[in-house]
Amino acid sequence: MNDSPYHRQSGVTAMNRRDFLFCSGGGLGGIALASLLGQESLLAATPTSGVLHAPAKAKRVVQLFMAGAASHVDMWDYKPLLEKKHGEKWDPGEAVELFQSSPGSTFASPWKFKPYGKSGKMLSDIVAPIGDVVDDIAFVHNIVGRSGVHSQATLLQSTGFLIPGYPSIGAWVSYGLGSLNDNLPTFVVLPDIRGLPSNGQKNWDSAFLPGQNQATQVRVNAPKPIADLSPPPADYITPSGETAGLELLGKLNRAHADSHPGDPRLEARIRSYELAAKMQLAAPDALDLSQESEKTQARYGIDNSTKVWPKEINVAEEQDAFGRKCLTARRLLERGVRFVQIWSGNDNGFPRRNWDSHEDIARDHAPLSLGMAKGTAALIQDLKDRGMFEDTLIIWTTEFGRMPCAQGGKGRDHNPFVFTNWLAGGGIKGGVSHGPSDEWGYKPADRSHFTQGYDIHATVLHLLGLDHEKLTFRHNGANRRLTDVHGHVIKEILA
Amino acid sequence: MSFESEVKPIFEKHCIECHGPKKQKSEFRLDDREVALHGGESHAPNILPGKPAESPLLKFVTTADRDTRMPPKGERLTAAEVDTLKRWIAEGAVWPESASLKKTDPLDWWSLKPLAKPALPSGDAAHPIDRFILAKLQEKHLQPSATADARTILRRLNFDLIGLPPTADELAAFEKEAAQDLPAAIGRAADRLLASPRYGERWGRHWLDVVHYGDTHGYDKDKLRLNAWPYRDYVIRAFNDDKPYTRFVEEQLAGDTLYPQTADGHIAQGFISAGPWDFIGHAELPETKLDGKIARALDRDDMVSNTTGAFLATTAQCARCHNHKFDPIKQEDYYRLQAVFAALDKADKTFDVDPDAAKRRAPLVAERTRLDGEIKTLNEKIATADTRRATLIGKIIDELKQGSAAVERLEYGYHSAISKEQSATKWVQVDLGVARELTEVSLTGCHDTYNNIGAGFGFPARYKVELSDDAKFAQGVTIIADFTGADVPNPGVKPQRFALAKLKGRYLRVTATKLALRKNDYILALAELQAVDPKGRNVALGANVTSLDSIEAGPRWGRLNLTDGYFYGPKSERDDARIALLERERTEIRKGSNKVAPADNARLAELNAARAKVAKELAALPAPQVAYVGTIHKGTGSFAGTGANGGKPRPIFILKRGDVSQPDKEVGPGTLPFTKELNSQFDLPADAPEGARRVALARWITDNRNPLTWRVIVNRLWHYHFGRGLSDTPNDFGRMGSLPTHPELLDWLAVDFRDGGQSLKKLHRLIVTSATYRQSSLGNPANEKIDTSNAFLWRMNRRKLEAEAVNDSVLSVAGKLDLTMGGPGFQDFVIDKPQHSPHYEYDQHDVEDPKSHRRSVYRFIVRSQPQPFLTVLDCADPSMSVASRNETVNALQALAMRNNRLTVAMAKHFAARVAKEATTPPAQIDLAFRLALGRPPSTSEAEAMSGYVREHGLTNLCRLIFNLNEFNFVD
Repeated sequence: MNDSPYHRQSGVTAMNRRDFLFCSGGGLGGIALASLLGQESLLAATPTSGVLHAPAKAKRVVQLFMAGAASHVDMWDYKPLLEKKHGEKWDPGEAVELFQSSPGSTFASPWKFKPYGKSGKMLSDIVAPIGDVVDDIAFVHNIVGRSGVHSQATLLQSTGFLIPGYPSIGAWVSYGLGSLNDNLPTFVVLPDIRGLPSNGQKNWDSAFLPGQNQATQVRVNAPKPIADLSPPPADYITPSGETAGLELLGKLNRAHADSHPGDPRLEARIRSYELAAKMQLAAPDALDLSQESEKTQARYGIDNSTKVWPKEINVAEEQDAFGRKCLTARRLLERGVRFVQIWSGNDNGFPRRNWDSHEDIARDHAPLSLGMAKGTAALIQDLKDRGMFEDTLIIWTTEFGRMPCAQGGKGRDHNPFVFTNWLAGGGIKGGVSHGPSDEWGYKPADRSHFTQGYDIHATVLHLLGLDHEKLTFRHNGANRRLTDVHGHVIKEILA
Repeated sequence: MSFESEVKPIFEKHCIECHGPKKQKSEFRLDDREVALHGGESHAPNILPGKPAESPLLKFVTTADRDTRMPPKGERLTAAEVDTLKRWIAEGAVWPESASLKKTDPLDWWSLKPLAKPALPSGDAAHPIDRFILAKLQEKHLQPSATADARTILRRLNFDLIGLPPTADELAAFEKEAAQDLPAAIGRAADRLLASPRYGERWGRHWLDVVHYGDTHGYDKDKLRLNAWPYRDYVIRAFNDDKPYTRFVEEQLAGDTLYPQTADGHIAQGFISAGPWDFIGHAELPETKLDGKIARALDRDDMVSNTTGAFLATTAQCARCHNHKFDPIKQEDYYRLQAVFAALDKADKTFDVDPDAAKRRAPLVAERTRLDGEIKTLNEKIATADTRRATLIGKIIDELKQGSAAVERLEYGYHSAISKEQSATKWVQVDLGVARELTEVSLTGCHDTYNNIGAGFGFPARYKVELSDDAKFAQGVTIIADFTGADVPNPGVKPQRFALAKLKGRYLRVTATKLALRKNDYILALAELQAVDPKGRNVALGANVTSLDSIEAGPRWGRLNLTDGYFYGPKSERDDARIALLERERTEIRKGSNKVAPADNARLAELNAARAKVAKELAALPAPQVAYVGTIHKGTGSFAGTGANGGKPRPIFILKRGDVSQPDKEVGPGTLPFTKELNSQFDLPADAPEGARRVALARWITDNRNPLTWRVIVNRLWHYHFGRGLSDTPNDFGRMGSLPTHPELLDWLAVDFRDGGQSLKKLHRLIVTSATYRQSSLGNPANEKIDTSNAFLWRMNRRKLEAEAVNDSVLSVAGKLDLTMGGPGFQDFVIDKPQHSPHYEYDQHDVEDPKSHRRSVYRFIVRSQPQPFLTVLDCADPSMSVASRNETVNALQALAMRNNRLTVAMAKHFAARVAKEATTPPAQIDLAFRLALGRPPSTSEAEAMSGYVREHGLTNLCRLIFNLNEFNFVD
């Protein structure tokens, strides 16, 4: 055991604040250059005035993204017809083209649905914990995708385009609104470290937007949650050397800047080191879940007692993994992080912690969904308890749904033709289900009126006080928007 | 009836918002007479003069149908307004020319005007660039800056031309020469740097930014693209060789057709394939499926946008869903460009550079294929009589003939019954029929793909291998291998080979004394046991197998799978020598069995002999090369390509709203109607080979009369030299791009370049020898008031070093930079889970690995998980064309420069280097500064640093130096 504080790894044991700074890591990243500098000449890359068009209903966002395509018909979108026709030949009355398979027989959800809340919303057993907060949620059941391929469909929901190279919604929000704090990043992503989604980091890219809008990845529960927050083990690095070094660096850089006047970048770079030092303090504190009571941790499904998880996918482990991210998200939002994105799933190893349940819905969806539901419900409740729910927007996303018919008896193939997203919090009317899917959950009930990811994006921006048609950035000849040339605010779900 | 006062106001009130200058929904607009009377997507013409009842326009404004009525939202037209429209149409829909928005000539735009060399502005400056720059400064009342000092100029030249800092010796020599004659010294330094191979590495990287080059496919799975690097090397080579620009363009678009007898002709088409590729959309979805169609349409879109962006600074891709909103590009023009690439896919291509070899290879391969067909037919006829061994040999031969295609069979191996105890002993044994002399025995572990368990499933923790003539292994037992004393690490699917000194025996037995963990229980599983005789034959193939127990489950698990010749793993390339050997053995077995007609066997032997001869001739040819390029692909399964059709281009249709499910008119190949002097439609004969389309496009681009090509490339060069192009949107010369600050200079340079040998090096030299280039980068308050952003170049721009320059400088200053050129990219990550979707783990890479100390242009570029250190420093995103790097300053960069494992490790090497060359602390501080910054520290700097070195050591100072602003900027 190496006793040097630089060799200790992240943990939540009793450690003093200073040690923690060196060991674990905390987050930082895009602090708006505007606030960093306050210099007009470097602000060319910030959006034009008039983007903030309306009083904002929400200040911050947490997005929950289920990668691999979570099944609407097994979670949120109750279809009695599937139960009635279970096992019979599935015939929607038209030719069906699926991603991987030919349609199997009609496949009822393996789980029971029950009504919850005042709204009486039917939810399946694997999202039962959401029942406690269901009256706060607006479901949109008629989302239609544009591709049944994971990569393109995921990009469409995360960036608004089918191909890589476009900024993510979090980067757009950061670009549009800037920072709410001065020691943490604007946009934080909590990936599922067991396996990144299709396209990996392209889903939280800042692409052509200025770099301060890039996401900072926080690998929750990893030994080093944030890259380069603290130095790696090295025999020559000591706390006093770090302090003195930063001071000397500042001094030398200052003298250099003084002899090279008129270049705000030199000043900005000096400030960036000061900011980095602040983040080194703030981030570990934000990520230290041990500061939360046992009761709170338990509420989120965090299990500090289990050190080694079973090899098979299981509910307790999924609750722990997702709950930690939800609680971390709350702590980050509290500290002024503007946009937190939580990812679940897309591990392609074994076991398959991936919503892409082609083989066996029951095996994979139950633990993933129960894990997700517990943390999500706790997050919503917790935000309400703290008075943050009113101005925090919570959005639940997946790249497409799954078919009402079986694949290989126990699984479901992709369904980009209709699926569910939901929203809750700032400016959202709770307890509503907007835009029904058809009786199978195969396509929208009204095929000429449906919702698209663009509409969700437009609605999110609207609630943040941003006009999705005006939040633009000129790149390679086009004024790019998150919503491309589409998008309508979904008025029906607004409070 | 007045259009102006009665009709137009109705359009303006109700329609123009969506069908006007801002939006043109359904490609229809009512502010443009032409479009209003004739255009519109599916209902054109919307206005039928004299026939109000039949005019769609009137139907839309009167219908009650919620989905089609106009306007869709808001107030409907009043009855009076409808009546006005009805009357107007009935009276002939008279729309006076004057009432339309003033039509402008779409070609009336700076970048589309014919290129001509302007006269030099008058002035005293000798250098043509300075004439233009000074004239503009004068016009704007700006003062040029003083010349920078010699050290600054050489650092500038170095980073600019080769991306590395100058050495102390180079600086000293330059300062001496500059004191005599600065312009001459600059000229000589420029020549030296341009002649250095480091130049191509630096400038090749710029081009790779523009073409979005990467070494993985991106999208889902993000699999490795192992043969992309030849294109990266081609680009570096082209810059170093100063390849004339026309040739550079031609090779990248149509090298396979124009220069098939050169390696570059093939490799350069890595340009077409440089961007991302949707593996799932191609490999798992055929072109007949909707999602498969989308994937291929997007892939062609990538080829088109790469081409028009890189060579023409044109955003043709904006016309995929609708006519370009700003530039004269119709949807049809865009799809004509798609038609140019319609036969191609992104794929590995194997090619002969030697024309003679290429000529000889084709008929030999055809002959081999023909012989294989005949052999197969004959074998199928007689195979029914084969022994198990002969059948298995046949299977191996078939797989070997498939070449390098990885073979995955269901037959995993042998699997014992499940035991609750890990210490239970289990055995499995092979009967070779008779006692045989053996030189080697090998065991290979299983690979369970079905359950995603992966390699080494069931391989015992402790085991032994024995040989005996006694089936019960009671007597005469020879131990071949004994690992019963301690656990062995699981070898995965790596064969465990045991050499034998010509031992003889009939039975081989593997006994596990400590089983492998399955879930909560234990098993013994093995994929294959091979026993090699002195002739090199696997005599265990097809042998009978017995065991203590076995689960015998379906095709996957069974005793006989242990001797079926199959185990998981990379299969060898097509191996004609081994095929011949196996064929001989099969013939022998068949002769012995007496069940095969002698005539058939004899004919087979004859065919096999002929095949062996062909194979030998093929083997004698020089080895073909492989590169990942845009090419005719001939594949199997979903990713079939057009190869089976002889490379016939796929039909290309105009897609309504870019939607593959709404094909409209079919279009042939063509290009953009950007100049009246050149035909934008390629009038190729119907039976022209597909390559002719790309040749036509390349010829159009490189035609002297193309107004864009020459302006675009000289502007790119200018952009990299000054940090800003003469037009500061190097990828967009259209109406959404920036106007050039010095249009005459841009045109002068473009013509000079086009007509003066198209040498990039000559242009570099011209630029860096100008007085404009050698100005100081210091500010000037008076000038700043007029031109804050220095658009008119009254000083040099201070440049923040790009990610690669920082990385390479750190290595260089630390004395660790390895200048080895070319070849496969170095991987500064460890790949986890390579079988399905690789995880690229940068954290697990050893930063001290010298392989990763090459210049960063040779890095293996992953799209989904970009290299963290360089990404934080704003390196190019390989998923999009980057014409101009983002340049940001943020706290993540500060943390990376201080705490990244690379800078922390290199600080140690830097310090060691300094300590070796200088002994006293003051001398060390002095040397460290000179190595990193090319200057000695000032007295006050030296003072401040000496205390720090005393207390915290030289290494900490070296780390600090990497973090200095001065290290990260070049003046």
